[in-house]
Amino acid sequence: MIAVVRAEWLKLRTTAVPWVLTGIALIINALLILVIFLSPADQSVVSSGYEVPHTTQQLRNLVGSGFQGYLLALLLGVLCITVEFRHKTATTAFLVTPRRAVFVGGKLILAAIAGAVLAVIMLVATMIAGGLTLDARGGSFTAMAHQLPAVAPGMILVFALFAILGVGVGSVLTNQVAAIIVVLGWFVILEGILVSLVHGAEKWVPSGAALAASNLTRSTGGGPGGPPGVTLGLFNWWEGGLLMLFYGLVFAAVGSVILSRRDIT
Amino acid sequence: MPSAIEVHHLTKQFRGVLAVNDLSFEVAAGRVTGFLGPNGSGKTTTLRMLLGLVSVTGGTATFGGRRYVDLEQPVHHVGAVLEATSFHPSRRAEDHLKMVAVGAGIPLTRVGDTLELVGLADVARRRVGKFSLGMRQRLQLATALLGDPEILILDEPANGLDPQGIQWLRTFIRHQASTGRSVLVSSHLLSEMEETVDDVVIVSEGRLVLQTTLADLATRTGTTSGMRVRSPELGRLTAALAAVPVAYRQIAPDTIAIDGASPEWLGPFVAEHRIVVYEQIQDRGSLEDVFLGLTRGFDASVPSVPSVPSVPSVPGSPGSPGSLLGGAQ
Repeated sequence: MIAVVRAEWLKLRTTAVPWVLTGIALIINALLILVIFLSPADQSVVSSGYEVPHTTQQLRNLVGSGFQGYLLALLLGVLCITVEFRHKTATTAFLVTPRRAVFVGGKLILAAIAGAVLAVIMLVATMIAGGLTLDARGGSFTAMAHQLPAVAPGMILVFALFAILGVGVGSVLTNQVAAIIVVLGWFVILEGILVSLVHGAEKWVPSGAALAASNLTRSTGGGPGGPPGVTLGLFNWWEGGLLMLFYGLVFAAVGSVILSRRDIT
Repeated sequence: MPSAIEVHHLTKQFRGVLAVNDLSFEVAAGRVTGFLGPNGSGKTTTLRMLLGLVSVTGGTATFGGRRYVDLEQPVHHVGAVLEATSFHPSRRAEDHLKMVAVGAGIPLTRVGDTLELVGLADVARRRVGKFSLGMRQRLQLATALLGDPEILILDEPANGLDPQGIQWLRTFIRHQASTGRSVLVSSHLLSEMEETVDDVVIVSEGRLVLQTTLADLATRTGTTSGMRVRSPELGRLTAALAAVPVAYRQIAPDTIAIDGASPEWLGPFVAEHRIVVYEQIQDRGSLEDVFLGLTRGFDASVPSVPSVPSVPSVPGSPGSPGSLLGGAQ
C-alpha cells in the first residue's frame, strides 16, 4: 500500500493539477486577506479609517482566511481519480494494481495527505502575507500567531476530509466533467437550498459536518470563513469529522464495487 | 513443453453480444505465439480478460494456473502493451515509467535501462503529448519490460508503425523470445507476423479456428495452389479440361485458373492437345490465403470472392496489402 501511495504522489505531482489548484487557492486566499484589511471600520472608530484586526475573532478570521480553499481540496480529490479515466491511464494503473479497491484506497490516502498539505501551504502563505500586512498596519503579528493553534488543526483536518470526499465521489462518477459539476453544484447551490428548506439538515450535510470538524481546537461553532449557510446546531468536532469521513468512505466503497465490476475496454 | 498462458473455455458476453465464445488455447513457454484474426474477432477482449481488465463471463484465463489479479506483483511476471493512448499527455516519458516502477516496487534504474532498450533515452524528459504514435508504442513496450517479466502480451503492436518501425518491432520481439520470454502478440495481419511467430492461434467471431505451428500452417498452403493460364484458345482448353477431374474458373477474358494443377502436369497436357498458351503462372497460395480461407468460413460478414486468385505476395513486405480483410468490417 505504501508503494501504491508513493506512485500516486508521483502521478499527482507530474501533472499540472496540484499546482494549478494550489495557485487558485492562494489567489482566493490573498483576495480574502485584502477584504479583511479593507473592511470598513467599526462605527465607533470610523474616524481611524480601516480597522486593524485585533480581537481574537478578527485575528482568527485572518489566520483562517484560506478556509474557502476547501473546495479546491475537494476538486483535488475529484481530479486525482477522474484523470485516470479521462486519459485512459486507468489501464496502466489497473495492470500495476489489479485490485481496484486497493487502487481507490491509494487515492484516498494520497488525497487526504495532499489536502492536508494544501491547508498547510495556505496557512503558511496567510501567516506570511497576512502577517506582513498586519505588521505594516501596526498590528501584532505575535497576537495573530497565537491564534494559529486554534485554527490550523481544524482547517488541516477539514481539507483532508474534503479531499477524501472528492476521491469517493470521483470513484463513483468517473466522468471528470460530470463529477466536477456534481460536487460544485452540491456545495455551491443545492446544499444551501436543502438547509434552508429542511429543518435540522444543517448538522447532517457535508458542509455542516466539516464546519463542526473545523472546531477541533475551538470550543464553539461558526469558525473563520467557514462554509456558507451553516452556523449553529452542529455536531461536536469529532462527530462532524466522523460523519464527513463516513460520507467519503461510503462513496469510495460504492465506487470500488462499481469499478471492480467495470470492464476497462 | 510447459505453458506460459492457458485459456480454457473462455467466454465473454457484452450486453447480449458474444464477443468471445468458448475459446481455448495455450501459449507455449519461450515461444512467440501470433494471436490472429480479423478485426472484431475478440482478440482484444481475450487479452484484456487475461489481464484482468475485462471481467470473464465463463471459463478461465491464467498464467501458470493463476489469474492475473492473483499474481503477486503482476508487472514482474507479465508485461502488456495495449492501446497507445493510455498516457497523460503532460507527463514526461520517464515520469510515466517511474510511476509504474514505484507502484510495482521496481528499482528506478530500470527506467533508464528500458528507455535505452526501446531507443527513447534521448526523449526521456519530453512530455508524452508531443510523442508520435511510434514513440508511444515504444514507450508502451518500455512500460511492459520494466518489471523484466517472463511473459509479454502485445495487442496489435504494429498498428500505426511505419515500415522501419515494424521491422524494428519484429527484431525486438524475436530478441525477447531469444532471451527466454514467452510472447503472445495479436494482429489482424498474418503477413505482419509470419516472420516473427513460432505458433499461431487463429480466431474468428470469438471462436478458435486453429492452433498450430507456423511451420504446419505453411504446409497447408499447398492445398490452395494451382495454375493460371492465358491462352487465345480458351474454348478448346476448357473442352479438354472437361475430360479430366479438375476444377477451373475463368478469371479474365483470356485467362482461367485451374485448381490444384502443377506446371509438370499442365505443360504436357496443353502440348498433347496442341493448345497455344501465352502464359502459365503458378499460384502458390500464400499464408495469407490460408489465413483468409480459415477465417472466412467463420465470418459471414466477409464476402467471398473466389474469382480473384491472389498474386503470390512478398512475405511480410511492410507495404503489402493493408488489412487482410480489406475493410470488410
